Amino acid sequence: MSDISTERYTEEARRGIADPVLRKALAFLQDRFGRGTAEAYRRLPEGPELRLEAHRIRERAIDNLDVLLETLAERIRARGGHVFFAATAQDAVDYCLSVARRTGVRRVVKGKSMVTEEIGLNPALEAAGVEVVETDLGEYIIQLAGEKPSHIIAPAIHKTRHEVADLFVRKLGIARTTDPPELTQAARAALREKFLTADMGTSGVNMACAETGHITTVSNEGNIRMATTMPRVHVAFMGMERIVARLDEYEKVLRLLCRGASAQTMGTYVSFMGGPRRPGESDGPGEFHLVVIDNGRSRILADPRFREMLCCVRCAACLNVCPVYGKIGGHSYGFAYSGPVGAVVTPLLTGVNRAKDLCQGESLCGACKDACSMAIDLPRMLLLLREMLAYGDPAWGVTPAGRLDAWAYKGWSWLIRSRRVYEAALRLGALGQTLLPRSRGMIRRLPPPFHGWTLNRDLHPLARETFTERWRRTHTR
Amino acid sequence: MDTTDQITFMRRIRTALGHAPDIARKVPELFADAPSAEDLQLLERIRQRSVAERQALFAQLVEAGKPLRLNVTPVADEPAAARAVLGLIEAKSPEWGTRKSIAAWRHPVIDGLQLGPGLAARDIPLHLSDPIDPAADPACDQAERDRQRAALIESFIGVTSADFCMADTATLVMRNRPGQPRSVALVPSIHVAVIALDQLLADMKELFALLRWDERFRAEALTHYMSFISGPSKTADIEATMVHGAHGPREVHLFVISG
Repeated sequence: MSDISTERYTEEARRGIADPVLRKALAFLQDRFGRGTAEAYRRLPEGPELRLEAHRIRERAIDNLDVLLETLAERIRARGGHVFFAATAQDAVDYCLSVARRTGVRRVVKGKSMVTEEIGLNPALEAAGVEVVETDLGEYIIQLAGEKPSHIIAPAIHKTRHEVADLFVRKLGIARTTDPPELTQAARAALREKFLTADMGTSGVNMACAETGHITTVSNEGNIRMATTMPRVHVAFMGMERIVARLDEYEKVLRLLCRGASAQTMGTYVSFMGGPRRPGESDGPGEFHLVVIDNGRSRILADPRFREMLCCVRCAACLNVCPVYGKIGGHSYGFAYSGPVGAVVTPLLTGVNRAKDLCQGESLCGACKDACSMAIDLPRMLLLLREMLAYGDPAWGVTPAGRLDAWAYKGWSWLIRSRRVYEAALRLGALGQTLLPRSRGMIRRLPPPFHGWTLNRDLHPLARETFTERWRRTHTR
Repeated sequence: MDTTDQITFMRRIRTALGHAPDIARKVPELFADAPSAEDLQLLERIRQRSVAERQALFAQLVEAGKPLRLNVTPVADEPAAARAVLGLIEAKSPEWGTRKSIAAWRHPVIDGLQLGPGLAARDIPLHLSDPIDPAADPACDQAERDRQRAALIESFIGVTSADFCMADTATLVMRNRPGQPRSVALVPSIHVAVIALDQLLADMKELFALLRWDERFRAEALTHYMSFISGPSKTADIEATMVHGAHGPREVHLFVISG
């Protein structure tokens, strides 16, 4: 299993908010892609409603996952490919290690894939003495820097060109330049050498199509095409939910995926891979392996309240509109998936109690739902997770995280059910508030345990006279 | 050939979905055994497409290619295409070495260009990606693949055709086969593609309708590897600044024979 640091959410969020470079980068990213994606949905011939159709397509696929995965595996095997079904992260990693050992792999080039972050593939390969090279430019930068991705699509968004320049001088031995084209060229040269000498290439899977028996990847850089073409072995990793039944359904999902991810009508490279090199072909991998990963997904599948989450295609559109992600950045989420998608999926995959801060940190503003390329109701599931945390949920092994929520609502419910109690409480409040510090008619600070509420905002004081009292005074004779 | 990993995996999924864990399900309605009304409409639209409509698709392709930096040029016939390709080879210089050499597909359209003599006159080697003879013994097989790979790596321009081109997104569609390897459109710094006007399609819907239901394309379907290519390789990973030429070709030139 990879590093999980969801417990450090608050601490990391503070650090993110205090980082002016990160804030500027995120503001730029959200301004550009957030708006761009909304505009791209509007320009669809079918309009943004296509998202609802895609949602239905994905739901149908999830409801028939067993049939679709078996069809996919059968078609790939018929072409001479291998398919392995991994129940856990460890199973997936072990399978890849055994392929690497058997085929004598010394160097692996990786196409960008969040699921390999989830299962912790890199450290496992490195521990086995295999050199692992990330090849997406952003992933390469953060690998050289020894960091983790902070955005699903733009993993190095938190780094400035000056930081990249210093890094490349140190690690690649180039003359210092801060020009993005020159920096890109330096990485292009260094990575070309790696592509041409690697024994194994790995990739994720953006979406598979059961009917044809292909997995597909989308990239702009061409690194995934390189990693899956030049080495003699290709191992692809896919979360078990990343599949649709038919090509005409795939067409709709792909169009939305490209728009959600980067407001593009089509990624530069979309590759459909269905097996190893054929007899007579001069290139392509001699061995093709697909690893289908459960790693906690069947538990989500079993709960109808959360099954919808498996419709997600990880386009990251929700990150590009989320006001919380936009301030704290991806590292705060402590796992492969950040932003609203991470706030739902990480607790479900790694433990709701452990990752409780993620869903409690989101604002429930609903922007993610509007931006989602698959029209997933993320706020609904965020609320559901909070409810589980307030009251506990034995099925998921969730214990109530602090009784405050439950008590507060119990108290409130008692308070508002009796007119007399409610009015007495208001009077008491009106009296008590005179002790609180004020400025320009607003309450500046609440006493503990409510002081958190007034850290960044002032509170309107209770009116001297309630509405009911005023009504009585002005309307009764 | 179900294996233990697959059996337990499927059992878990079926249990989660509330089905009997050990009975493999059949849901034929998930797939389609005949074209839908929409598919038939698409096929008919492609069949009925007039020259004027093809020209309109071409105009759309040119426009869609602009923001992607895909250079689209119409050429009258094969000799004109050959002249254009040779002109490009002359004008451009290699990225990695100093010597110019060219890799090209074995493909009727590319063979028709007869680039050989023109390149020989300029003393530029042409590496054709001939299919590997499947009857040969595995050692020879490997040696021939290695030879072609080495030639490809030193080539600065790769010349291919394509199966189709989708106008609305300026996307080349290539189904890779023996003689038409994927790496020719990937490893060289510049990718040159030559297609005929009647290979233009409107969009992905038309493409998939053809691949799924048209007898001419159905048998081969998507092959083992099909790629969509929309312009040159690009990245925006450093401060979200767009840079062309990340790992794939830095330039893509498309010549459309409109004769």
